[in-house]
Amino acid sequence: MTASDIKQVILDIIADIDDEADFSGLDASKPLRDQLDLDSMDFLDIVMELRKRYKLQIPEADYPQLATLNSCVTYLGPKLAAI
Amino acid sequence: MADYRLVIIGGGLSGLAAAIRYARYFPDVLVLEQHIRAGGLNSYYYRQGRLFETGLHAITNFAPPEDKNAPLNRLLRQLKIKREQLALHPQIRSEIRFFDRYTLSFSNDFAELTECIRKEFPQALPGFLRFYQNLPEIDPFTPSPFRSARQFLQSHIDDPVLVDMLLCPLLFYGSSMENDMDLSQFAIMFRAIFLEGLCRPMGTIKDLLDMLLAHYLSLGGAIRYQAKVAKIIHGNQQANGLLLENGETINCDAIISTVGYRETLSLLGHQLPEDEKRIGFVETIFQFPVENAVDFPHDITNIFYNNSSPFKYAAPKNIVDMNSGVLCFPMNFAGNRLAETGNGPQLRITHLANYQLWADMAKDQEAYQREKFRISHQSFIEAEKILGQLPKNPAYEDMFTPVTIARFTSKHAGAVYGSAKKIKDGNIGFKNLYLAGTDQGLLGIVGSMISGVSIINRYILPKL
Ligand SMILES: Cc1cc2nc3c(=O)[nH]c(=O)nc-3n(C[C@H](O)[C@H](O)[C@H](O)COP(=O)(O)OP(=O)(O)OC[C@H]3O[C@@H](n4cnc5c(N)ncnc54)[C@H](O)[C@@H]3O)c2cc1C
Repeated sequence: MTASDIKQVILDIIADIDDEADFSGLDASKPLRDQLDLDSMDFLDIVMELRKRYKLQIPEADYPQLATLNSCVTYLGPKLAAI
Repeated sequence: MADYRLVIIGGGLSGLAAAIRYARYFPDVLVLEQHIRAGGLNSYYYRQGRLFETGLHAITNFAPPEDKNAPLNRLLRQLKIKREQLALHPQIRSEIRFFDRYTLSFSNDFAELTECIRKEFPQALPGFLRFYQNLPEIDPFTPSPFRSARQFLQSHIDDPVLVDMLLCPLLFYGSSMENDMDLSQFAIMFRAIFLEGLCRPMGTIKDLLDMLLAHYLSLGGAIRYQAKVAKIIHGNQQANGLLLENGETINCDAIISTVGYRETLSLLGHQLPEDEKRIGFVETIFQFPVENAVDFPHDITNIFYNNSSPFKYAAPKNIVDMNSGVLCFPMNFAGNRLAETGNGPQLRITHLANYQLWADMAKDQEAYQREKFRISHQSFIEAEKILGQLPKNPAYEDMFTPVTIARFTSKHAGAVYGSAKKIKDGNIGFKNLYLAGTDQGLLGIVGSMISGVSIINRYILPKL
């Protein structure tokens, strides 16, 4: 997957959690939670969807690595390289 | 190899919510319910070909769909249920009446309650407003030792009647201890009932349960009825499986128990000393023919009344305590077309009750039935004192007692709200067995469902 594929995957998952999420003006270097009004429960959904869709096991300690779209790319890039 | 990764004991609302939450990601989950149908305390049964609900006066936490952070909408998001699937009808308004003298009216618009307090208790209004301002300072989700809600109210409001009146609906709708409740739970319930408000789903509780069950099954989850768990098989603080009453064993990797703390310990084989007093209720349903619709009020949803000073919310010395109670009119929700389903007006009356006296009475079935009849008749007279003359010809009436609750839901001492002590983090010292529902401390329909979801989120999903 390319960086933009990964971003799209994350946005698709968020759209699935909240179909009214507004991605216009989203800053890829800023925390998703603040920009999209996600709570920690919603955040867990992102982790679980990645697990379900790509069999990705993300340990709890690594959750902060998914804070922004850019950090998602950095963290998930190597794990999703083969997909 | 385990039969299931996760088994949930109890198909009440907390169990169903936990099961749906888990099945969204892994369908390898089984719910075990002792009864022939789901719902637990909020279920239904048939008499004379007609459906009767158990419970469900109202759903708390009413919030408009746009309010994304409201507990109800967050809960639905977690379960992946569209808000539109739940047509919710708001209450019209409810009343708290004390000694025929003070009446506070509240609706889903909080200003109505404040306005009433201004009229009935002008001296206490500034204190009430200060209390309301300080309410957000209570953080109900950070675990803390017991704090008294009554003391918190008293520290702001110096009118003891107003303090009792504000506590009355909250205690009736969710306190497992006498005359008080934990401040955290109070903060949750004050928001749920007074700030957000009451509503009812379209139709009956069966429609809501059917929707939840269909959703759960479509995600691939499994549920078994008449599957009473007799024992949890365990060793070294690790649960390995369950033994059903019919002798069957089921192996699993993790268990969530929604049947109560004490009840769970007893499934683990622990002997327990008798604990503190538990709060029991009787409730009678009076169902009237359609033509009696005119004889009932149309503009009121619930009335919480009390005639004793001070208000006593406690296990009564007598078999029931008629000094206080709740009158509920399930047909009186805005836009609820319950009436068009061919059902006439319904009145439900709830009082505090003494479990032990009912249990002793139930040893003689005939005496028990006679007592039920006598008490429901008295209840009716209490209702007439409040509402004026009512028609005397209910098409149907039925009463549940704490013995009924114990029989159908296995709640210890038939206590709807479970143990006075709550295990707020659901952790009972096991590696893979957690508590959710009533004894985790979140009560009511919305509360118990949030409990199920949050225990899955906290302990089960991150570990998989
Ligand atoms: C009359 C009444 C009116 C109410 N009105 C309202 C209301 O208007 N609004 C509101 O929000 N709340 C109301 N409540 C409260 C609400 O119903 C409960 O707080 C909530 O349903 C609790 O859900 P739960 O899943 O924690 O427990 P339960 O519903 O008790 O679920 C536990 C389940 O476990 C099953 N079980 C027990 N032991 C075993 C075993 N050994 N093996 C297998 N299964 C077992 C039981 O049969 C039950 O189905 C009312 C309750 C009552 C009784």
